[in-house]
Amino acid sequence: MTTTPTTTRATRPRAAPGGPVLEVSGLEHRYGQTIALAGVDLRVQPGECVALLGPNGAGKTTLVNAAIGLQPVQRGRVRVAGDDPRRAATRRRLGVVQQTVGFPRTLKVGELVRGAAVRAGLHPRAAEPVLAEVGLGDLVDRRAGKLSGGQQQRLQLAMALVGDPGLLVLDEPTVGLDITSRRAFWTTLGARRDRGTAVLLTTHQIDEAAAVADRVVLLDRGRVLAADRPSALIDLLPDRTISARTRLPDGQLRQHLAGQPFSRDGELLTLATSQAEDTVRRLLAADADLSDLRVEGASLEQAMVALMDRAREEASA
Amino acid sequence: MTATTTTAQRPSATDRTVTARVLAVEVLDELRGIIREPTAWVFSVAMPVGFFILFLSMFGDEPLAGRQAGTSMLATLGTFGVLAVTLMNPGIGVAEDRERGWLRAKRVSAVPLPVTLAAKVAAAVPYALGVLAAMTVAAAAMGALDAPLGTVARVAAVLVVGALPFALLSLAIGFRVGANAAAAILNAFLLPAAVASGLWMPLESLPDVLSRIAVYLPTYHLSQLAFAQLNGGGWIDHALVLVAFAALAAVAAAVSYRSSRP
Repeated sequence: MTTTPTTTRATRPRAAPGGPVLEVSGLEHRYGQTIALAGVDLRVQPGECVALLGPNGAGKTTLVNAAIGLQPVQRGRVRVAGDDPRRAATRRRLGVVQQTVGFPRTLKVGELVRGAAVRAGLHPRAAEPVLAEVGLGDLVDRRAGKLSGGQQQRLQLAMALVGDPGLLVLDEPTVGLDITSRRAFWTTLGARRDRGTAVLLTTHQIDEAAAVADRVVLLDRGRVLAADRPSALIDLLPDRTISARTRLPDGQLRQHLAGQPFSRDGELLTLATSQAEDTVRRLLAADADLSDLRVEGASLEQAMVALMDRAREEASA
Repeated sequence: MTATTTTAQRPSATDRTVTARVLAVEVLDELRGIIREPTAWVFSVAMPVGFFILFLSMFGDEPLAGRQAGTSMLATLGTFGVLAVTLMNPGIGVAEDRERGWLRAKRVSAVPLPVTLAAKVAAAVPYALGVLAAMTVAAAAMGALDAPLGTVARVAAVLVVGALPFALLSLAIGFRVGANAAAAILNAFLLPAAVASGLWMPLESLPDVLSRIAVYLPTYHLSQLAFAQLNGGGWIDHALVLVAFAALAAVAAAVSYRSSRP
């Protein structure tokens, strides 16, 4: 996939100058007695990539459906580039990539992207540079039903990008893609983000979210538990994991570790601590033959789990 | 907390222009789908036209309802041919689109659902006209066409317009079930209804019970409305039945659509 920028079209309306491209405030939604969203606020700025994370049933899909205008707003307010996303004209400023779409088998790649251009209010010719941008320029006459999984995802991306959207909504966009396809996918999006396209990403691939998102919004049971940079969320967890190989007996270890809990698997010692530097110094002082020493920080996944556990404890207290 | 105003806004002139272009693209895509799908040709074109030619070769020059059978069959087998397209294609198509997520993808991309549905129905029209044209050419080629072309055109117009309520029924089913089930249900309606309405064989040649059933079938009234163009018979009662059927099918389609919305 190349990253040739499209230059033939005028930039389409995005957010008001300085304003967010997506603005959600006080959004509430219920399915019968079940609360799906309980007063969610969210802002996405032009060029920003925000990852919506959370367990199944957290409210991610409801929030995304409201953002892309597929779902009426029960209470609260949703604006895309300052307008109601239920309006067709507003939705034309959105691009959406779903986990999978079964394209009509009988239609060809070029026909589908040209059709997407017309649906976005543009001339069919607007498809040509986007096809090149996502690396489908040589496959315009191939039927969609004959594309590989990665090619189909690139086709979806082309259809989402052809309208030069101010906001791109991605729902598990790289599931099932190989590493090369993933990197190409995010490279293409990186170029678009440089030009101001904002990205709202929902995914269960937390490592990927940590790598590509500027901000992570953690949803659980319809509420925003945290919204910050991935590194800031990870820093909320003080613990580091230390592992090393040692022949010291447990009794000596307990003494040198000042009572900190640890686990052993043969020679392999593992412990979690908020005083990593001090603990490492103690271990090195106690055992001159210490080997395979490792200190690892918490992952975004661990931070998410900790945040959700804490929220649930507070709710039940 | 502010409740968002969700009242519908009047589409602008730009919206209307875009919608018209989108409709054209959607119809074109549907036609491509039909033309490039061999199974659709077999069941929706080859079968009715094949039946027509078979019966034409057997009974084409015999008298039937005041004209040569080959001409009268344009009203009966013509009804079957038009319904094989307008009843089957839109419903199965919308069920397939729902199953594969394509319908959702279109809604996300600001395609109004009525445009998608109108395209599915509109794409069936040239297809249905093609079936009728093939039957007309076959009847003429075998010397069994004894009606002026203007009359044949009236038959075609009546059949195409009269088949639209069947397209609504088709959509109602397509919104409720999967593509395979839709095909099964629609066939389970069309084939018995075709027999019981005298679309394959004249009702006079069939058991009396079928004549008593036929008057309750919209397929029968559509064929009688077409017959009326050929033999000048009464048409108002048949038209009224089809109008009532259209209203019921529209309600069914609307209810079915609402219950299937994500």
